[in-house]
Amino acid sequence: MTDPAVMPAVKSFILERFLVGEDPARLTPTTPLVTGGILDSLALLDLVAFLEQTFGVEFEAHEVDPGHFDSLQSIDTVVRAKLAK
Amino acid sequence: MEFAWTPEQHALRDAVVRFARGALNDDVAARDAKNEFSRALWEQCAAFGIQGIPFAEEYGGGGLDAMAAVCAMEALGTVCRDNGLLFGLAAQMWSVQMPIYRFGSDELKRRILPALCDGTRIGAHGMSEPDSGSDAFSLRTRATPDGDSYVLNGTKTFVSEAPVADVFVVFATIAPEKGVLGITGFVVERGAPGFRVGREIHKMGLRTSPMAELVFEDCRIPAANRIGREGRGATVFNDSMEWERACILAGAVGSMQRQLDDAIAYARSRAQFGHPIATLQSVQHRLVGMKVRLENARLALYRAVWAKQENVDPAPAAAIAKLVISEAWQQSALDAVQIRGGYGYTVEYEAERDLRDAIGSTLYSGTSDIQRNLIARSLGL
Repeated sequence: MTDPAVMPAVKSFILERFLVGEDPARLTPTTPLVTGGILDSLALLDLVAFLEQTFGVEFEAHEVDPGHFDSLQSIDTVVRAKLAK
Repeated sequence: MEFAWTPEQHALRDAVVRFARGALNDDVAARDAKNEFSRALWEQCAAFGIQGIPFAEEYGGGGLDAMAAVCAMEALGTVCRDNGLLFGLAAQMWSVQMPIYRFGSDELKRRILPALCDGTRIGAHGMSEPDSGSDAFSLRTRATPDGDSYVLNGTKTFVSEAPVADVFVVFATIAPEKGVLGITGFVVERGAPGFRVGREIHKMGLRTSPMAELVFEDCRIPAANRIGREGRGATVFNDSMEWERACILAGAVGSMQRQLDDAIAYARSRAQFGHPIATLQSVQHRLVGMKVRLENARLALYRAVWAKQENVDPAPAAAIAKLVISEAWQQSALDAVQIRGGYGYTVEYEAERDLRDAIGSTLYSGTSDIQRNLIARSLGL
């Protein structure tokens, strides 16, 4: 796969699913998603399913850790690490 | 935008009505009084093809879709007075067969689905526990991985069809410390070591659909019986709940049509003060209320099924359908009693059974309060 635009795709997904009506500029690469209350556990599962379907990666149960998904930046990092394998 | 069934769907409805008229109203009042499930009627429905309608032919299904299944169940409801049978069929279809169909491995689907479709096995769904009902994800039943098996410990309650079921879809946690992210779905088969069906639970209504608890005491099941991936059980459950909320009350919509038709017939034949009571405005307005609620319920049902099939924001549509139809059915059943006056309060006239059955619909698949919470969440509240 060529260098995927991970962060823009994830940002769009989160804005459309969980931040309807919010100003997109307020969702920055470092906005806390889980610790900031934007994503609860069910939302996290939806996000993981989106990442798997969109980028063709797989997350094991132990990898679905809120700490890996707490910002657009950390999500970008973990997805690119899987794509690089 | 079409508001009509296709010729194929019309043909299916007509076939279902002919089948049900001849087969399904055997002694329902007596069975209700005895809390008696009829395996014979279940098998007749399976022989007709009801249980398999929306599932692929390679898994023993009819190869049609959810809208066809809803069409058939609504048609059943217009003729069949056994609401417990309708409920049991729908509960198996949407909360047992559908999660296995959508998330199970191909091996699991081939092993489990055909017998559920052909009626030789009956399925039940176990999620609620004594301390977790509406708060479903606070469940405590534990699944411990052990080689090529899982070992389950815990209890499930309010499990419809449990006393007669052979296959159980249950949800347990493989990692309690992970909360929702530890929940995983499993198939447990009757006879599994350490598994038993517990005490039977007697209910106000839907008495021909038996209910019991499930008890897991070091219950060992093969890892191949897991539904989907570890830790993804909440996704499996939520998906099956959306199907259930959208579709499970199709039979109730048919029942509401039956109730309205019967109420009109009664009102035309019952004379008081020298006239049929159908000429009284108060009775007419009550019948109009039944009609308006029925049409609203019908639209909500079809919209929700379409939304779930097409994956167009199905969650609120399903919650709205469940809320609208259940509360409409409950009110219409009460109106059917009222129109009959004192006779409506007697067992002989059967309207009271419909009311007892309808009340349950505001509770299962998430109470009306939970549906309102879900709709509120969709509004960003």
